[in-house]
Amino acid sequence: MSADDIPQVPPLSRLVTQEGIRRYAAASGDHNPLHVDEEYARKTPFGGTIAHGMLVLAYLSEMMAAAFGHDWLAGGRLKARFRAPARPGDTLTARAEPRRVRDGVFEYGVECSNQRGETLVSGTAEVAVGRCQ
Amino acid sequence: MTPADLPNVAGLPRGHELPTAHFRLDAGDVHRYLEAVEDRSDAYGQAPEGGAAWVPPLAVATMALRAILERVKLPAGAVHTSQEVEFQRAVPVGASLRSRARVAQRSEMRGVVVSVVEFDVAEEGVAAPAVVGRATLMAPLGESPS
Repeated sequence: MSADDIPQVPPLSRLVTQEGIRRYAAASGDHNPLHVDEEYARKTPFGGTIAHGMLVLAYLSEMMAAAFGHDWLAGGRLKARFRAPARPGDTLTARAEPRRVRDGVFEYGVECSNQRGETLVSGTAEVAVGRCQ
Repeated sequence: MTPADLPNVAGLPRGHELPTAHFRLDAGDVHRYLEAVEDRSDAYGQAPEGGAAWVPPLAVATMALRAILERVKLPAGAVHTSQEVEFQRAVPVGASLRSRARVAQRSEMRGVVVSVVEFDVAEEGVAAPAVVGRATLMAPLGESPS
């Protein structure tokens, strides 16, 4: 089986908003002022608030969960590097590129990029199909 | 222990274990998480009483990171540079969970401390973890905690 035989994973897009970042801070308990305090964040090297890395990662996980359902919940693996921040007003697109299959594990190159085509998060996603617990 | 007394994560040596955390993600928590990340996929099943049957696995990892952040201070300028997560068992909504974490690696170079914190989360009473992960944090050497 080659990369051509691996299922395609539909991309997904999300608009990042300050309100969404605040909702995520409340849900996750991460109230770091870099994410929620615009005055504080303006004085940092980022120059403004940025989204939590785990919020951006959630888009990649959602994309894989939508494609693989329970197999992702009980057999998914995500390895990602945060390369650049996502900011309020950014439209992010999560994508997965089939790479290979080995021992029943599908491997994808994944990334999340913004509307300017800048890669903000990149890495790999693997999912073991049919081994659900 | 007050927040001011928490140890600076950049100062923790390799092998340091953080106190075990215990938490639970009920239907309300999961609903708030799904709303916050705008996840409307049907991958998490349907509970008989409504709402998701399974916790989104990244929500479990997020709560494990929250538990870590409640046990250490991050230095000013600290950055979360990479994250690995592996979902080994699905977690039902409402399950009681325990989370363990330890500093797996710590190195210093060119004025920066790189700490890798490993964690695993399992249902209470279940030996096999549901989620395991590794977070890599970079912090300026010698910065005081934020």
